[in-house]
Amino acid sequence: MSTARAPEPELQGERGFVANSWLVAKREFRERVRSKLFAVSTLFLAFLAVTVALMPILIRAVGRDSTTSIAVASSEADLTNSSIAILETFLNPTKQKPPPYTFVAASPSDDLAGAVYDGRYAGALVATRDPNGKLLFQMLTGESLGTDKVTQVQIGVLAIGVLDYIKHNPTGLAGSAVPDFIAQQVGASAAGGGAGTVDPGEFAGRRIVGVVSVVLIFITVVIYGMWVAAGVVAEKSSRVMELLISAATPEQLVIGKVAGMGLAGLLQYAFILVPALSALLLQDKLSALILGPGNGVPVSLAALTPGLLAAYGAFWVLGFILYALVYAAAGSLVSRAEDLQVLALPLSMVAIAGYGTAVLALGGGIGPLVRFASFVPFWSPFVMLTRLTVGRVEPWELVLSLGLLVAAIPIVAVIAVRVYSAGVLLYGQRPGARQIVGAILNPPA
Amino acid sequence: MSLAVDGLVKRFGAIQALNGLHFEVPEAHVFGFLGSNGAGKTTTMRIALGVLRADGGRITWRGRDHRGLPRQFWGYLPEERGLYPKMTVLEQLVFFAGLQGVPRDVAIREARSWLARFRVPEFAGRKAEELSKGNQQKVQFLAAVMHDPQVMLMDEPFTGLDPVNIVLLREAILELRDRGKTIVLSTHQMETVEAMCESVAIVDRGQTIVTGPLSEVKRSTGRRMVLLATRGDHSLAWLAQVPGARLLRPGMERSEIEIEPEVEPESVLAAALAAGARVTHFEVADPSLEQVFIEHVGHPADIEPGTEASAGTPSGTPSGGRQIAPAGIASAPDGEAVA
Repeated sequence: MSTARAPEPELQGERGFVANSWLVAKREFRERVRSKLFAVSTLFLAFLAVTVALMPILIRAVGRDSTTSIAVASSEADLTNSSIAILETFLNPTKQKPPPYTFVAASPSDDLAGAVYDGRYAGALVATRDPNGKLLFQMLTGESLGTDKVTQVQIGVLAIGVLDYIKHNPTGLAGSAVPDFIAQQVGASAAGGGAGTVDPGEFAGRRIVGVVSVVLIFITVVIYGMWVAAGVVAEKSSRVMELLISAATPEQLVIGKVAGMGLAGLLQYAFILVPALSALLLQDKLSALILGPGNGVPVSLAALTPGLLAAYGAFWVLGFILYALVYAAAGSLVSRAEDLQVLALPLSMVAIAGYGTAVLALGGGIGPLVRFASFVPFWSPFVMLTRLTVGRVEPWELVLSLGLLVAAIPIVAVIAVRVYSAGVLLYGQRPGARQIVGAILNPPA
Repeated sequence: MSLAVDGLVKRFGAIQALNGLHFEVPEAHVFGFLGSNGAGKTTTMRIALGVLRADGGRITWRGRDHRGLPRQFWGYLPEERGLYPKMTVLEQLVFFAGLQGVPRDVAIREARSWLARFRVPEFAGRKAEELSKGNQQKVQFLAAVMHDPQVMLMDEPFTGLDPVNIVLLREAILELRDRGKTIVLSTHQMETVEAMCESVAIVDRGQTIVTGPLSEVKRSTGRRMVLLATRGDHSLAWLAQVPGARLLRPGMERSEIEIEPEVEPESVLAAALAAGARVTHFEVADPSLEQVFIEHVGHPADIEPGTEASAGTPSGTPSGGRQIAPAGIASAPDGEAVA
């Protein structure tokens, strides 16, 4: 204290907004990252993510002893039988018991789609011949038939086409030996929107990416949002808030906290994503290792285009900021950590509504509601992301969705800061809606 | 050249927290800001800090509106004490000083020097949660003064401290004053105010009851004290014969007698001698600040006024906010804040 400094501090300017927000952010980040909870939750989430990434292998490992039953039908009994014989040869290695596939002859007039939908068959292969003699195979796939199996059937179909071609054109050279192959997911045909335009193999891959990204964005927004709220409550309950509000403005405190927690969340995210993506990329090798040679799972990361990743990053960051601001304001309204649970539920309901809509869209139903929800700022991080993954989005739609989200942030920030600056001064009482609205319209300072 | 609070008004819903509060704090003085809980002290401090906005009136420093003053102008020790429990003492001090614009290296040096001065250099590396309440309080005091503010607002700085630490803190505050800092102390401890404050304000229910230099405030009731020691008879039964005199505190060594303004102290002595008492000590003095407070406000400062019963004898506010001289800052009921 004896080291005297400049005697006229009142003549100095106010310390910079950015400098103080950054100081608050650094403190938040450090405290969060050093906490035991951070380490534990990171490990848990990383474990969860790797498990999800390895799910296809696990499903195969569980289902390796089961048999996939596929109906084969055509208007020519010959073609049906030869197709079955060829598929048996190609897809059922002789040594494996029970064989991975059984093929059942059926009639094209049967309700094959219904049978697949009911699960009596995992899929149905219907062959027709066009007037030129070229074969067309239509594959109806049920929900239990993975893309890898569809691919295997497709390889078998190629063999059928080639052998059939040789049989009918012994001299060769006329037409094409490669049959047409159309796979169609049973139940998805009514999806409309983008789903029908994507082939089912790719659609399934995109759907996995969509599910994983929506789940991740939802979990992290809610979890990291709660970090922010809990951080505010901790400052209130320890009463350090009294010292804080005299040292920094509410704007600096809210923005610093959101930024610090967001960076901590991003770090955790990296800790989760790196092992999960590695697991996805190594899936082929891992699966060969676990399930034996020839059982590789083709990696379906093709759906993760750079554009989609960029959109994902943008929606994650913007979505987190939007929700974190609301959580910061909510945290300021309670004085004890226990009371936070009361507020947490209604808050996550907003996110859950968006999440639910996104899941609806993942089912392939991009209806007016989904389309509308993909523009609403609190929902677009989930819903537009889903539409981007599994549907078709016009560029203007994406720009509008992001634009509305960006525009919503300063509005929500102003409201959140006003609620916060009133809320942090309150102890032991929970303000009513009227007081909160009053604070928004007429801030305390 | 001072900190002036002028006609401050603040309302929280139905509660009138401040109702024309005023006082003036001379520069480089220690100012006592006295009032019961709910008198408006914390609210006044929060308005000065810019955390709350006044509905009316103003606060100025050297004539300049407080809203134009940078945050680091103020040092604030809140009544509600708190630190980050998991942060080390040094980290928090550097953090809070950093928010006030003190560079990290300077802050570390200042923090270590202050801790050494408070005879706790080993606290630097300890987490706040490992410290006793009293020691946490010392750290909070440091957090409030680390950035070398011009004016310090201290809400009950001495509560919870042991006598040794009270002395340390008093010395530190007086030294800050000697370095030209202006200090506003809100406290219930009247003897501390009498020992440290050049001027005071007594506030009640958002209004200034009396303010000015300590000596004048102590005389503001017009009453005086007679300190009397007699040999043998301690009952002072003869005092009943003196109208306007009241035995305030009987004592073996010395009795305190309060006399009304119109009563001459000598009449007490005369009555004693007439009654044959053997007077060994006779002294005329001002009433204690505590008596002055009770006289004005109607109850002791550390008793909540809330109930009608305790507010029973309302302040015979002789001055209705008489301005004797400059001083201070006030606080309000805790936690009634949302607009």
